[in-house]
Amino acid sequence: MTVVLNELDTNFKYDVANEPGGENIKLCFACGLCTASCPVADIDQKFNPRRIIRMVLLGMRKEVLSSDTIWFCIQCYSCQAHCPQNVDFADIMKALRSIAVREEHVAPSFVEKVKEIDVLCQKLRHEMVSTVIDSRSKGWEGELSKLAVDAVKRL
Amino acid sequence: MDKQNGNDRIGAILVVGGGIGGIQAALDLAESGYYVYLVEKSPSIGGVMAQLDKTFPTCDCSICILSPKLVECGRHPNIKLITYSEVLTVEGQPGHFRAVILKHARSVNESLCTGCGICQEKCPWSTPSEFEQGLGKRKAIYVPYAQAIPNMPVIDRKLCAYFLKGTCRACVKFCPRGAIDLDQVDQTIEVNVGAVIISIGFDEFDPASLFNYGYRKYPNVVTSIEFERILSASGPFSGELVRLSDRKPPKRIAWLQCVGSRDESLGYPYCSSACCTYAIKQAIVAKEHTPVELEETIFFMDMRTQGKDFDRFYERAKREGVAFVRAKVYEVQEAGSTGNLIVKYLGENDKLTTYECDMVVLSVGFHPSRESIVLAKKLGIQLNPYGFCYTDMFSPVETSRPGFFVAGVYQGPKDIPETVMQANGAAGRASVILAPARNTLTKKKKYSMEKDIQGEKPRIGVFVCHCGINIGGVVNVAEVAEYARTLSDVVYVEDNLYTCSQDTQEKIKATIREHNLNRIVVASCSPRTHEPLFQETIREAGLNRYLFEMANIRDQCSWVHRDRPEEATQKAKALVGGSIAKARLISPLREITIPVVPKGLVIGGGIAGMTAALELANQGFECFLIEKTDKLGGNVRRVHYTLDGSDVSTFLNETIAKVEQNELIHVYKNAAIQEVSGYVGNFKSRVLVKDEDIVLEHGVIIVATGGNEYHASEYLYGKSDRLITQLELEEKLAAGTLNGKKFKNILMIQCVGSRTEERPYCSKLCCAQAVKNAMIIMEMNPSANIYILYKDLRTYGFKEEIYQKARKMGVIFIRYTDENKPEVIHDNVSIKVKVLDEVLGEDVLIEPDLVVLSCGIVPNEDSKALAKTLRVTLNEDGFFLEAHVKLRPVDFATDGIFMAGLAHSPKPMEESIAQALAAAGRAAIPLAKGFVSVEPIVSHVDEAACIGCGLCASICPFAAIRLVSRDGVHKAETIAASCKGCGLCAASCPQLAITMGHFRSEELTAQIETLATA
Repeated sequence: MTVVLNELDTNFKYDVANEPGGENIKLCFACGLCTASCPVADIDQKFNPRRIIRMVLLGMRKEVLSSDTIWFCIQCYSCQAHCPQNVDFADIMKALRSIAVREEHVAPSFVEKVKEIDVLCQKLRHEMVSTVIDSRSKGWEGELSKLAVDAVKRL
Repeated sequence: MDKQNGNDRIGAILVVGGGIGGIQAALDLAESGYYVYLVEKSPSIGGVMAQLDKTFPTCDCSICILSPKLVECGRHPNIKLITYSEVLTVEGQPGHFRAVILKHARSVNESLCTGCGICQEKCPWSTPSEFEQGLGKRKAIYVPYAQAIPNMPVIDRKLCAYFLKGTCRACVKFCPRGAIDLDQVDQTIEVNVGAVIISIGFDEFDPASLFNYGYRKYPNVVTSIEFERILSASGPFSGELVRLSDRKPPKRIAWLQCVGSRDESLGYPYCSSACCTYAIKQAIVAKEHTPVELEETIFFMDMRTQGKDFDRFYERAKREGVAFVRAKVYEVQEAGSTGNLIVKYLGENDKLTTYECDMVVLSVGFHPSRESIVLAKKLGIQLNPYGFCYTDMFSPVETSRPGFFVAGVYQGPKDIPETVMQANGAAGRASVILAPARNTLTKKKKYSMEKDIQGEKPRIGVFVCHCGINIGGVVNVAEVAEYARTLSDVVYVEDNLYTCSQDTQEKIKATIREHNLNRIVVASCSPRTHEPLFQETIREAGLNRYLFEMANIRDQCSWVHRDRPEEATQKAKALVGGSIAKARLISPLREITIPVVPKGLVIGGGIAGMTAALELANQGFECFLIEKTDKLGGNVRRVHYTLDGSDVSTFLNETIAKVEQNELIHVYKNAAIQEVSGYVGNFKSRVLVKDEDIVLEHGVIIVATGGNEYHASEYLYGKSDRLITQLELEEKLAAGTLNGKKFKNILMIQCVGSRTEERPYCSKLCCAQAVKNAMIIMEMNPSANIYILYKDLRTYGFKEEIYQKARKMGVIFIRYTDENKPEVIHDNVSIKVKVLDEVLGEDVLIEPDLVVLSCGIVPNEDSKALAKTLRVTLNEDGFFLEAHVKLRPVDFATDGIFMAGLAHSPKPMEESIAQALAAAGRAAIPLAKGFVSVEPIVSHVDEAACIGCGLCASICPFAAIRLVSRDGVHKAETIAASCKGCGLCAASCPQLAITMGHFRSEELTAQIETLATA
């Protein structure tokens, strides 16, 4: 599929740069460190921070703001920690989400739901780790999925 | 400029920093009639170059090419080495400076120490060695490395038990000369100089703060400089490639580029320029240091091998199996307890990939040392935002303080050839200020009387060199030495690790005296680089220089027979035997000195030619500037903008005015060189100026003939007026004929006519030029969309800053590969360009209003003819070939001829200027000296045997032998100064009436017979 650059919104990158958190997006020189560091990219090859930045820089406004991918970031900041250009991708994610809401690509209730999921994930993790923590010196052997199911039940 | 009477100026210079930059500047100045104080803060000179194993792109042994210069610095009568010292202050004005230097107490008496090394053996206290980057140890009393100059130790008072607790004093006890002086105190001395050159180098980035790379956490993660010490034959593992955790040879090594460079988050946003090429060098060289099959991968962002021949070096590495992965590594983790490392990066098809290897090398960047920043403050020198010495775009070796010059990495990250060029240039500039004071403070070298060996039987001394592992790693040196001992007339044999080092020179001299030797044979490397060194050494010991023979058992033996060590050893024996056979028959010869015509000829009136001519004139030498067109200025006439916004046109016009108004420069326009004859000091050139033939006499030649913009045929150039080149773009922008506002979509394509099969070299300036022009357009029209399609974005050094600025402004950079070149589709209506964007993972299509092609630089079309006229060589790509890529970047192999600018290789304007200063600086040396010495390897005619047939004169390629009339009879006569010693005349003479000095028939016959029967 060929992307015709003349048809894209080349102002998109400036809009993102003007959004709090998105200031450094244009500094990216596509070294790939962010995607290599990303724990989400590790499990979902379609989630690619470097590619998301490129899409913004080329002007693929609609594709980015209405995409699923900008909601998969877990804000772990691994990308931001070592980016050689201080692109601050995690903050860019936040900026893109703000714009997505503002430009009505997503409903505010959806954003709320994602926030609730984040909180639940933390609680889930807390529960699961608490369960295995007593056997930390001996090591825990068991099925992760059963552990998760039990933790969900308790919450 | 200082208006005082020239007689008042002090004919001495202070050079601060004893690395290759300081050393080269000191040598140039010492040869030009000045006295030099060379101050170095560590105990010896040598700098980082002494720590390297090999240098790129030729993979020359670093110490091998540096050592002769170290020795020369150590023994030059016009150079005073002040080591283990620091400059405190410098007061005054150009021509009259007073410098205060703090000499730290060595605790060793300089006049008594012989460098025997016993104190270091006996000292019981050791600590990690700074020279070995902590991988090896040194004692409390130490010399930093074996080949150090001065070869005299210092006591580290922070470690020495005497200074800490008042005990030990083993050094005092064992020193056979009583040279230890524990009461020595720091001294301040004052020296008076006319100019100062600062060449204080850099520190490497310390990656300990990069937790994700595991340096200092995992023993098998090392920095590039540590890796050099591991590779080095004189390093902690004697050149055996092993990893630190278990001393086992690694099988897989990964290099991580841009560690501490191009990194805004660490505060080092600039590019360190040399790391791409040095990593490739390390990968190529590492293979030679291990019997194990090595798998090597270099992880990089942009491959910045833009220097002369470096792209070929890159291609060579690929052919030799080095893998290149374009990805910045996120993390290095340990693989269990094996000591192995796992490198995590974004791999092909954007998959997260891990790579397990045995060793990781971090290619660390360069930054100014803390001390250098402090020194700059003390000396009142302006620094740039990164802490490097600030210099103006058009004056690349001048600091902000008049009379203070700079060379090397202290001015900005660069490699050795550029450092040497800046050193040559800085020395030239200092010479301009102090020319009236030339030869006022110099000392003449006093030699002992030459021994008369007439009537003596040959007593031959043989020195066989290991050359680190270059020879010793293949040839059994001890066996060769043993063999030499069996030959008649050989009375002394020894083998050395580095025969060219200072301590060995002393040994050779002592041995000559002790054993009454009257012929010396050195079996080592090439006489081309090292013969003068050994000849000087034996002369210092009282022997005529020509009682010396050299067997090349490196270039002609160990290097080419690496895989056949036994046969190589036999060959080495034969070569040594041959040299000994010749040595028995050689005799002393006299050198001839010939006066020099103190004028220069500069070929080419572009910025390089004009800068060189002005510099020669500034030093007081008349010169002729030959320009083939009717205007001065060359390619710079088409350049209107620079990276830092300097006004090029004004600078160019001012330069042209200076040249035309200078009384010492004679400009010839519409001129073409027809013929050049002669030799260094005495050239004669016939020049056709319009229709008139003129003959010019001069002592030196500077080739600055430039290059041209590649005339593109790719990408449908010429098929539409919307396809233009960068130079055309600049001209239109400057003339106002291109309205930046009218063009919304602009596409630039890099590497047009560069890095191709026909022209596999980088044109060096196009990436920065494209970025610069893109920014100019963006400023005119902030809503423009500019796309730059590139292969590697080569904004090296501080140019990285404009790459960042351009991205910030919204310029989009899309990488393309040779396999997926941009496709230009042109119908009568529009131009469309399609290219695969690997980061996006899709093809993109742009319909630009304007396409700008970044065309490369091709050699001047007249280069071939000029090379023939001057009898010099071109390289594979058609650019002029220098004498030595690293250490003689502006000299031709032919003495007296120099080069600068695009004629040498593609480069941006400021580098052409630097190189022109260097060429003029070097060219001025023989002009300043006033004479040249001619080697006595010239033809001799036996007039009694000569029948005057003239065959020799017709065959000589250098017009160095001619027929003259002697009482009505024709006889051949040698013109010694033109003679290159090629021997064609002697070989062609039917009467065998001609012999070659130092290569007489009987000498050569003896050598050949020995070789043939070996």
